Amino acid sequence: MTAPLASLSAIRKTFGAVVANDDVSLEIRAGEVLALLGENGAGKSTLMKILYGFYQPDGGTLHVDGAQVAFASPREAMARGIGMVFQQFSLIPALSVLENLLAALPDAPWLQRRSSTLVTTAQRWLRQLAPDLDPDRPVRNLSVGERQLVELARVLNLDARVVILDEPTSVLTPGETERLYGFIRSLAAQGKAVVLITHKLADVAACADRIVVMRGGRVVDRAATRDRTAAQLIEAMVGRGAVGSLEPPEPPSRNVPKLIVRDLAAVVQERSIRNVAFELAAGEILGVAGVSGNGQFALAETLAGLVPVSSGDIVLDGIDIASRSADGSISADIAYIPERPLDNAVVADLDLALNLSLREIGDLPFFPSRRTSERRAVDLIARYDVRPPRPRLQASLLSGGNLQKLVIARELSGKPQLVIACYPTMGLDVLAAQAVYRELFRHAAEGACVVWISEELDDLLSYAHRIAVMHDGEFAGIVRREHADRQVLGRWMAGAAVEAA
Amino acid sequence: MMRTERIRLLAVGGGGAAFLIAAIIFLLAIGRPPLTTLGQMTLYAFGDGYSLSESLVKATPILLCALAVILPARLGLITVGGEGQLYIGALTGTAVVVTFPHGPLVLLLPAMLAAGAIGGGLWSGAAGLLRARCNVNETISTLLMNYVAVQLVNYVIYGAWKDPGSLGWPASIAFPPAATVPSLMGTRVHVGLIVGVIAAIVLHVGVTYTRWGIALKVLAGNRKVGAMAGFSFVRQTLLVMAIGGALAGFAGICETSAIQGRLQAGLSVGYGLTGFLVAWLSGQHFLRAVPIAILIGGLIAAGDALQLYSKIPSASATILQGLLFVAALGASGLAGRRIARHG
Repeated sequence: MTAPLASLSAIRKTFGAVVANDDVSLEIRAGEVLALLGENGAGKSTLMKILYGFYQPDGGTLHVDGAQVAFASPREAMARGIGMVFQQFSLIPALSVLENLLAALPDAPWLQRRSSTLVTTAQRWLRQLAPDLDPDRPVRNLSVGERQLVELARVLNLDARVVILDEPTSVLTPGETERLYGFIRSLAAQGKAVVLITHKLADVAACADRIVVMRGGRVVDRAATRDRTAAQLIEAMVGRGAVGSLEPPEPPSRNVPKLIVRDLAAVVQERSIRNVAFELAAGEILGVAGVSGNGQFALAETLAGLVPVSSGDIVLDGIDIASRSADGSISADIAYIPERPLDNAVVADLDLALNLSLREIGDLPFFPSRRTSERRAVDLIARYDVRPPRPRLQASLLSGGNLQKLVIARELSGKPQLVIACYPTMGLDVLAAQAVYRELFRHAAEGACVVWISEELDDLLSYAHRIAVMHDGEFAGIVRREHADRQVLGRWMAGAAVEAA
Repeated sequence: MMRTERIRLLAVGGGGAAFLIAAIIFLLAIGRPPLTTLGQMTLYAFGDGYSLSESLVKATPILLCALAVILPARLGLITVGGEGQLYIGALTGTAVVVTFPHGPLVLLLPAMLAAGAIGGGLWSGAAGLLRARCNVNETISTLLMNYVAVQLVNYVIYGAWKDPGSLGWPASIAFPPAATVPSLMGTRVHVGLIVGVIAAIVLHVGVTYTRWGIALKVLAGNRKVGAMAGFSFVRQTLLVMAIGGALAGFAGICETSAIQGRLQAGLSVGYGLTGFLVAWLSGQHFLRAVPIAILIGGLIAAGDALQLYSKIPSASATILQGLLFVAALGASGLAGRRIARHG
């Protein structure tokens, strides 16, 4: 067996009273994909951020190439060939894809020439990872999935020998995910070490050689992938037997349309949707699949009434709610869980209590009581398991998954008639995702229409009543779950016309 | 929490020490005994009733202009238009006086003050409208409007409103007693100071404890989410800019009426920009701005006195003021970084 490329021994890290890592040891070998598996908050990301120089450990040592190292910053770690792709993105939105790649280089050229080798190398990585992506597009116009791929290209472009990926597949389409799996395998084949931080067993099964399972800041299991079954891994992760399965929600009892969308067209942030038409009965769940960046965001914002429509109607309970001069405010009947909650759903520098009260703010007295809002926040935080449970904590300090739970707590704790949920389980582990689904299904059972935009095709196929596929701003097709077929959906995603069904 | 407080206290102490050292070096460089001079300055600023009152006179427009910066800053807007708003307030307030010079006090005085406040509010509100509707950067627009405001005042005092009895001196007629802002206890301190302090308290309560304060915080943090919650960025921008402009305009007409007695050139010695610095020094905090404005007022008043009695050029006071700002902003900046890093 070869000597490890990098190793962590007896790492300990605390944040105040919280022990994030406790006596964790780990070896990372060249040519191998290591899956770091665990629930949200198990300490996986913290551990890898220590290796990446983002945090400094309180105890324990790091070795790279057999020599002990201490990284004061990610830059130093990068100089030793360690690169990390974050769950929360670190790209500069105003720069183009290519500029982002170049700006990350330690010796970024002051004068950027199109023909330099730096540019061609960067373009080569981009082509391998995302062949359809125009390198000159500004990052702010990219979807989450596309941003993720650019993040990865950025790290590879830095010539990393150890590539750490933090939940990379949570925002990718099935096609993108498959391509990423293949790419991870080929990186390992090239002799790079890959660490895959994940909570998804599919990721592990698809490309890991070795698994380390973490729970509560400690390593609870380590094994070769072939020696473990899915059930064993889940038990190690969750620590309390197998996860209960989730019943698909009942189909709507009466087929009277509650939400009618006719001939809808709108333009949102340079993306447009056209000819969107569908009807939903009370209690019906419409899953919307599709490659990210095909108008899902525009659809969600338009249905939520936040942007003016160019044409068409959105009729909810007989009232046309399509707005032609939207002021950006949201109706009390609509619950909206947007994508990128940090940009679209929360005020990052305000506390949890205030963020949770945003939907009732118009009803507050002129002198609102802090105590009332905090008491309410404590309830919601407990009910939706937001961690850490501190109502006065600044929202920006929550992890991605907990931020998602915060938005869900605010939006789904009321009694909406229409629920629009975009990637509602992004960044959540199995148990937390199930809790979110239960909430969505509860609203459906109580008679709300649910529009559920997701890239988790398996989940859509298990739980949505009907599935629509968005492609290039239009519905490429819409089908009942019983008749849905993965191949057909895939073809619709790729842009094949409806008659292909 | 304890740690944060300690760092803040250290910052105040460190900033003070840095200022003292810099001031001593400066005074040595211009050949003055440093400790005696600084001691004298303190006396000239706050040493007796008269000095204190002169300091408060200077502090009044500075405080009002600082409030005019702090309120928009709570919505994330950076305005540097205090100076221009002050001039426009003086202009519109004077317009009432030159139009009705013989009006009775009960009408003339309130009308003059209201006109000053409204003028400043509209002037600043125009920048707010440009920002809210056309996305014109408010820092640039308020800066440029300062020059226009000063020239407008020059235009009227060299032209239509020039007092024929003033022998060519560019100034309006002297304000009649019915248009003179009442002063306090026989000093030159006038009711503008009381209005400033009350405004600081009211605004502090408003932004800290009310739904309106939440609206400002939410819109400043994420305008899109603020709109979803039903807050209007356009309306709030107009509101904070207009209130801020009204306070600065009020400062302008008070200064003209109570201190200068007529509208004339050079009515402000950079009160608008000093107010901007006080706002930043206070960390955009209404209540903290009050003592800081008084401190800076004292420094300016002491500078005048030094020039009069010790033959030190009054520019020295401006230099000392600059040193104080740099030391204090530097110290609070460093403290902020330490707090952010170690939480």
